[in-house]
Amino acid sequence: MRSQPLLEVAGLQVAYGAAPALWGVSLDVRAGELLCVVGPNGAGKTTLINTIAGILRARAGRLVFEGRDLTQLPPHRFCEAGIAIVPEGRRLFSGMSVRENLELGSYLPAAKAQRSASIDAALALFPVLAEKLASPAGELSGGQQQMVAIARALMARPRLLLLDEPSLGLSPLIVHDMFAAIARINAAGMAVLMVEQNVTMALAISSRACVLEEGRIVAEGTPDALLARPEIQRAYLGV
Amino acid sequence: MKRTPLVIVAAGVLLAFVPMLGLPAFVDSLLYLMLHWIVLATSWNILSGYTGYFSFGHGAFFGAGLYTTSTLLARYEWPFLWTLPAAALVAALLGVALGAVVFRVKSVRGELFALLTLAITFVIGTIVVNTPIDGGQGVSLSAVPVPAIGPTPSSTFYLLALACATATLLIAWAIFVSKFGAGLFAIHDDEDAAEVMGVPTYRYKLVALAISCALAGVAGGIHALFLSYVTAGEVFTITVPLTVVLMSVLGGSRHWAGPAVGAVAITALLYSFTAADHAVAGKAMIGAILIAAILFMPDGILLRLRRLLAKPVPSPGPAHAPSTLVAPVAAAPAPAAAAPADVLLRVRGLQKSFRGVRALAGVDVDVRRGEILGLLGPNGSGKSTFINVVSGHFAPSAGAIEFEGRDLTHHAAHRIAAAGIARTYQIPRPFAHLSVLDNVALATLFGGAVRDVAQARQQALRWLEFTGLQAKAGARPDDLNLHQRKFLELARALASRPRLVLLDEVLCGLTPGEIDDAVALIRRIRDQGSTIVFVEHVMRAVMALTDRIVVFHHGELLAEGSASDVMQRPAVMTAYLGHAHAQPAPA
Amino acid sequence: MSGFALPSASLLAQSVLSGVFVGALYGLMGLGLSLSWGLLRLINLAHFAFAFLAAYLCYQLARWGVDPLLSLLGIVPAFFMLGAGLHWVMARFKVTPFNSLLLTFGLMGIVESIIQSIWTADFRQLESTYAQHKFKVAGLFVPVPEFITLLLAVGISLAVWAVLRFTDLGRALRGAAEDAAIASAFGVNQSRNALLLAGTCTALASIAGVCMALSFTLAPSQMYAWIGVVFAAVMLGGLGRALGPLVAGTLIGVSEAITMAVTAPSWAPIVSFTLLIMILVLRPGRVT
Repeated sequence: MRSQPLLEVAGLQVAYGAAPALWGVSLDVRAGELLCVVGPNGAGKTTLINTIAGILRARAGRLVFEGRDLTQLPPHRFCEAGIAIVPEGRRLFSGMSVRENLELGSYLPAAKAQRSASIDAALALFPVLAEKLASPAGELSGGQQQMVAIARALMARPRLLLLDEPSLGLSPLIVHDMFAAIARINAAGMAVLMVEQNVTMALAISSRACVLEEGRIVAEGTPDALLARPEIQRAYLGV
Repeated sequence: MKRTPLVIVAAGVLLAFVPMLGLPAFVDSLLYLMLHWIVLATSWNILSGYTGYFSFGHGAFFGAGLYTTSTLLARYEWPFLWTLPAAALVAALLGVALGAVVFRVKSVRGELFALLTLAITFVIGTIVVNTPIDGGQGVSLSAVPVPAIGPTPSSTFYLLALACATATLLIAWAIFVSKFGAGLFAIHDDEDAAEVMGVPTYRYKLVALAISCALAGVAGGIHALFLSYVTAGEVFTITVPLTVVLMSVLGGSRHWAGPAVGAVAITALLYSFTAADHAVAGKAMIGAILIAAILFMPDGILLRLRRLLAKPVPSPGPAHAPSTLVAPVAAAPAPAAAAPADVLLRVRGLQKSFRGVRALAGVDVDVRRGEILGLLGPNGSGKSTFINVVSGHFAPSAGAIEFEGRDLTHHAAHRIAAAGIARTYQIPRPFAHLSVLDNVALATLFGGAVRDVAQARQQALRWLEFTGLQAKAGARPDDLNLHQRKFLELARALASRPRLVLLDEVLCGLTPGEIDDAVALIRRIRDQGSTIVFVEHVMRAVMALTDRIVVFHHGELLAEGSASDVMQRPAVMTAYLGHAHAQPAPA
Repeated sequence: MSGFALPSASLLAQSVLSGVFVGALYGLMGLGLSLSWGLLRLINLAHFAFAFLAAYLCYQLARWGVDPLLSLLGIVPAFFMLGAGLHWVMARFKVTPFNSLLLTFGLMGIVESIIQSIWTADFRQLESTYAQHKFKVAGLFVPVPEFITLLLAVGISLAVWAVLRFTDLGRALRGAAEDAAIASAFGVNQSRNALLLAGTCTALASIAGVCMALSFTLAPSQMYAWIGVVFAAVMLGGLGRALGPLVAGTLIGVSEAITMAVTAPSWAPIVSFTLLIMILVLRPGRVT
């Protein structure tokens, strides 16, 4: 068992424009686990993911990954450290082909060296993309775009994969396949931090979960433990 | 606020007495120049400051007016004052001709307009030089008598410029406080959203352009006689546009008086530092000040001062929007009570392709009055495209849309809005520079029933109460969270009292508790007379709300009927629902 | 003054050829503008002023005995620094894209004033050995300066196209143009890339300026004659496309040359503007 977590977030404070979004968030992600963050909208889930990915800068607090303090680094250094993001709404480079999106995912030297092997691995995970490599990314369906977004992140050979609401806007059938793929990625050893609205499906594949409310973590534990708490059930799971 | 026009006119009348003070001639000339620039800068701002369409061609319109006057004076011997309306007309026609072409382009129209107006200055100059209008040698007007309006010729020009400046400021103010002006500012923030809310953007932009050019043309006409010898090379340069841009930016382009403040400041500065033959250094100085202004004071002097003097805006209220919603407003008269079979919207054979991709492949839908119709289907099946085409955001490739018996196919979005159809956006698009209240007031104003801005605000407040946002009336949209912004979208859509409301994934991103609130609100919207069509993935809401649903699949309709019925059909289940549907059934 | 006279076939062919040459220069001038607008979302109006400044510097250096092509060795790096420096200032002050339009508009005024105060408004002609040489190809005269311009324009455009299409840097620039935040999340240092690109665009302007000095007489007021036609080449060629300005520029140049041969030279500037308006009227959706 590792004593030090892969990712340590301590007392993170982030202000998003005028309104403060995170008020001292602390959580850990351990190697090989799938941590799911749930919570009402406006709680700051996307803010949290974007800060861990380096897109947003924290006003206070610490972000330590594999023992390295990333808190004050500029955005483009986070990928180098081993973190890759699958953003909310996919955010593919829609004017570029699928292959070019994947190539850009492996932009950094370490990832570039393994580029062709990574593409093969991505196609093994999502075979339907094989015939779409030359298509402009913007012309794919929502589910296919989500696959490209996940593959793009994997091209960066990260040690922590961040997923921001992967099921948003997708039909239930595709969502099921998506979560199966994410579970497979996690089973192969990748640490995953996922933020989700579709709580029942997300918790089914998570090893741990925590609840974010108004910029603070208010509950934490195993999926079963959380599901058993009645007020959380009612407010966040709609059951 | 009605004092302002009186103040402007009173100032104009008072200043008219200046020539009688017997001051030396150069004072008249300096004051003339100040007023001249007030006209040019304020007229520029009416289009470019209010709508955000920066024109770099004010020199072309100014020059067109100038040469109209000089041609009419030198060749056709018109009386001077009669040339001024002609100058205004020519300049306005030129502007409108250019705008009519450019404003139709959908993308990069702002940059396109800026660069085309820059280019047109030189083109007009070339035409003028190559034809008998100027012919290359310039036009001499020294033989033309100056009308004796004031005691001396220079005072005459002063008085003419004063009249022109007073009129220009009045026009700028009047637009600023009117519905037309509100529309222009909405165009500035988000032109597409404004169009969908009923602002006739194309027409408004052309009118603002025409007024702007006409005023510049008059200023040009007066200036022609002032110079008494005109050459194309002096007129068709970037000096005029560069100067008016600077004056407006420095003074503040979001206010009617900003450019005037900038005009007075810059004219005084230029006059005191550079003599007449240092035109070259003058241009450099203007450029330098403009750069400094952009870097250090992008909002302009006026807004800076107002912010310093005004009280700080009170910070927004408690973090939660109240989850219990207020009783519905008594407003909107329901349309004549209709039998449920009455068809409100009839869509036949609707097709839409984007660059070869068929988003809609021939869709037939009837929407009955008073019903709540759900549009379902996998992502990419055409649901959002359907909403976009019906609301006018996109033009259909084929097919017909009929609303209350009227054919609305290919109509512009603002006319569809005026016909009684409103929509929300999946990702809210409020006008960032307007308050929450004004966002809704704009929709009320262009929704038809209300003429005047104050009344619009009153009604808007009631719609905010209906959606539970009244505590946030003074806040900016940026200060709201997603839930509140979605409700703002709803309030805006409702404010124009539409008979058909199109909702595009309005529940996306909300928690179950918030979804319950939204469902209750949507029911109340229907209860007070609107028909609702909405695109949704949240099955719980679909089950709870809809009378009927249609299922889209690859741009066509797969099934139609009541939700509980359709959801159990094998074809629908396998194509769309699969077997892993985990959302619990509603209570 | 204006009359229609159909020229002979060889005269027409010579006109078309000279149209190709001037079109190549339009393309070279437009390349930097197109890249800046398409990839950085910034319109640098001072682009034209910088090109003219480079042209005048080349002229001045030639008067002091420096060969124009050799002067590129000094001019290109200097203007690269100028372009990167300007971009750095705008990034530092967080100037919005529209305000950058205003700011570079002001800069254009300043540079024009500097040029006019140093070199006056009189026409200046660069005297170089290149101008005295021409060779014959298939019965048509090919002046050496114009030929150099054509080679430079084609060569540079192709090089830029290759970089954008095939290299990681090119992909990074294109991706960041669309979504800078996500590009940086994958390791793209967009602030550094933007400086490089901005510097390159101004360097390209300076090369175009030197070519201009080789073939044309210079006057500060001429700057505005180029704005319309270069801008037309940029728009017709498609923003951010490396080969677009060259192709569109050539088309415009040839159209102008034919117009000049058939009517009078002074009407040529109207051609590009008319072409652009026609495209906008007939196919408004086609732009970008």
